[in-house]
Amino acid sequence: MIPRLIDTPILTTERLTLRAPHASDFDAIAPFITSDRARFVGGGADKDVGHAWRILAIFAGHWHLRGFGIFVADSRRDGRPIGSFGPWFPGDWPEHELGWTLWNATDEGKGYAQEAALAVRHHAYADLGWTTAVSYIDARNDRSRRLAQRLGCMLDTDAPRPDRDPALEVWRHPAPSKVLAA
Amino acid sequence: MTTIPTLTTQRLTLRAPRLTDFDAYAGFRASDRAHFVGGPNTDIQAWGQFIGLAGQWTIRGYGRWIVADRETDAPLGVVGLLYPIGWPEPEIAWSMFAAAEGRGLAHEAALAARCYAYGTAGWTTAISLIDPANTRSTALAGRLGCHPDGTYQHAIFGAMQIWRHPAPAQGLAP
Repeated sequence: MIPRLIDTPILTTERLTLRAPHASDFDAIAPFITSDRARFVGGGADKDVGHAWRILAIFAGHWHLRGFGIFVADSRRDGRPIGSFGPWFPGDWPEHELGWTLWNATDEGKGYAQEAALAVRHHAYADLGWTTAVSYIDARNDRSRRLAQRLGCMLDTDAPRPDRDPALEVWRHPAPSKVLAA
Repeated sequence: MTTIPTLTTQRLTLRAPRLTDFDAYAGFRASDRAHFVGGPNTDIQAWGQFIGLAGQWTIRGYGRWIVADRETDAPLGVVGLLYPIGWPEPEIAWSMFAAAEGRGLAHEAALAARCYAYGTAGWTTAISLIDPANTRSTALAGRLGCHPDGTYQHAIFGAMQIWRHPAPAQGLAP
């Protein structure tokens, strides 16, 4: 038997299926991580495929260690993985985070990231029992900041920040009582 | 959530990494002992390495274990099957924390890992990559019956000696 992640949840939205990462996601994530579009999320044009491989391993390892983690979203139309979305809490993070990356520029502007982020926020609140959530965003990452605003997040200047340079902004999500359907 | 297997030897348990192992792992990565394996590292770097070592099980279907004291479950090291992208071949890797040195524990764990690589993972050959200046690790390769088989230029670690393990027919039984 090949050891793998088992019993991980599947989230389904109108256009996306979100599931735990697996090895074959490498071909989709590597071009993103090694591109300029990933410069605010730990990648960049100066990074090599080894860096992308380690990030995918970290995505998978977080599930092993925490029992929850980042989902990869597949397009329900063609099965293509389009990005990573989900609960994220490595040991050096001050709070539970909801993170997102959209891997292809051609998928921008269609509301995919918002659709997926809403699904993983619901999962974090309803299934994982989180009572609050933040998203850590590089202040130069305009697209990500706008998504946070569309998700109802507020800049929280009092919250502790991860030990990163440059410092990341803390965007606080609406509380579960505000977004979980009654 | 995970099917990372557990192996048991006379004195050790080789098991899935847990968050509670992190302090011991980070202590090793921050120490001079990590000099031969890309360190010393900050805690932030160590978090990425620690989570990634668990994640390789998903990416490759095999990986490295935390080597723990069979009685107390205290973490003593990291040993197992390592194959990041860019490696010349799948490797049997070992790093023992300071408290575990000098008792033959790395040897015991590496034999169990090699047995798993050949018996369960189906490897037909195995290497270990060792910094030529790492005399303790080189001595262990010798005790495991490995022989030098060329060098590999690692982007971060520099020139590494490739040690070839005995084939499955010779190396399967501990």
